[in-house]
Amino acid sequence: MAECPHLEYRETAGEQTFETARAYCAVADEFVQPMRADICTGRYGLAPSEDCEIYREAAADR
Amino acid sequence: MNASYHDGEPAVVTAALTGGVHGKEANPNLPETPAEIGEAAAACELAGASVVHLHARRENGERAFSTDRFQQVADAVREATDDVILQHSTGGTAAPEDRRIEPLRTDPPPEMASLDMGPLNRYDHLTSENTRAFVDRLHGEMRERGITPELEVFNDGHLNETLAFLDRADTTDPPYLNLIFGGGTTSPPSPRRLLAHLDDVPDRAEVNVIGFGPHQLPVTTTSLLVGGHARVGLEDNCYYRRGEPATSNAQLVERTAEIAEQLGRPVATTAETRSILGL
Repeated sequence: MAECPHLEYRETAGEQTFETARAYCAVADEFVQPMRADICTGRYGLAPSEDCEIYREAAADR
Repeated sequence: MNASYHDGEPAVVTAALTGGVHGKEANPNLPETPAEIGEAAAACELAGASVVHLHARRENGERAFSTDRFQQVADAVREATDDVILQHSTGGTAAPEDRRIEPLRTDPPPEMASLDMGPLNRYDHLTSENTRAFVDRLHGEMRERGITPELEVFNDGHLNETLAFLDRADTTDPPYLNLIFGGGTTSPPSPRRLLAHLDDVPDRAEVNVIGFGPHQLPVTTTSLLVGGHARVGLEDNCYYRRGEPATSNAQLVERTAEIAEQLGRPVATTAETRSILGL
């Protein structure tokens, strides 16, 4: 199963810290809903830049 | 359904503790580990919940469907609580059907489990299909294990599906419908929409109500007024009021229990809930 190139697993970002590394979107620069990660667009062979709502929202905010 | 607060019947309060969508990134008070879920269940039981709706998570917060992980959650809840009723989720967008059956296979089985009554969209590219064949398969396994289904009605179309299901299925009596209000595939949230749904619910049914996000308090309170029951908790809503994150699941349960009492609906004890739902 392919992974989204923008999906990372981190324990800390900003003021948020977790005991176990969890899903972090490097495009949105924030931890994302766990379910967004385990059914991530990248894992379904889709293109994050075109098909991922999180990516598109982050791009639109730039 | 023709009940109302006039009847003064006990109200069943369900606590949806964890869910499978958002996690601690949304509200750090949302319990994810078995120990945290057990602790939250105990607090909710004290606050008035007689049913706890359970999901399981992996250590990183992502969804878990395995019987083993649900067993850990169920064991933790049973150890921490007095006599609360366990209701396992069988929902799971994009999860294989065989995995979604696993939460039913704990020892002992849960007294209740959720049964999604039709398809629902998730994000832009996914649909949780919940075909009729899979609904019947899940229900068949529930009946074999003595598990009472809560029929999850996400919208009007699911109400049609539910009525057809009740015609074809040898299910528990009374049927227990859970009407769901919010965005996306769920019913548009409003008291009038809830009342309209009730027109189509069989008289013999018991009705529970969910409202997502800011709709949790209004639609569950409406349900209490019209003789229904209420589900609250961090699975459905992370906030106590606008801009103020909830401090716990129990905080949300406590508020709904107080509203029920104020409206003349005593909060159902676990024994009363078992009687009302025919468990």
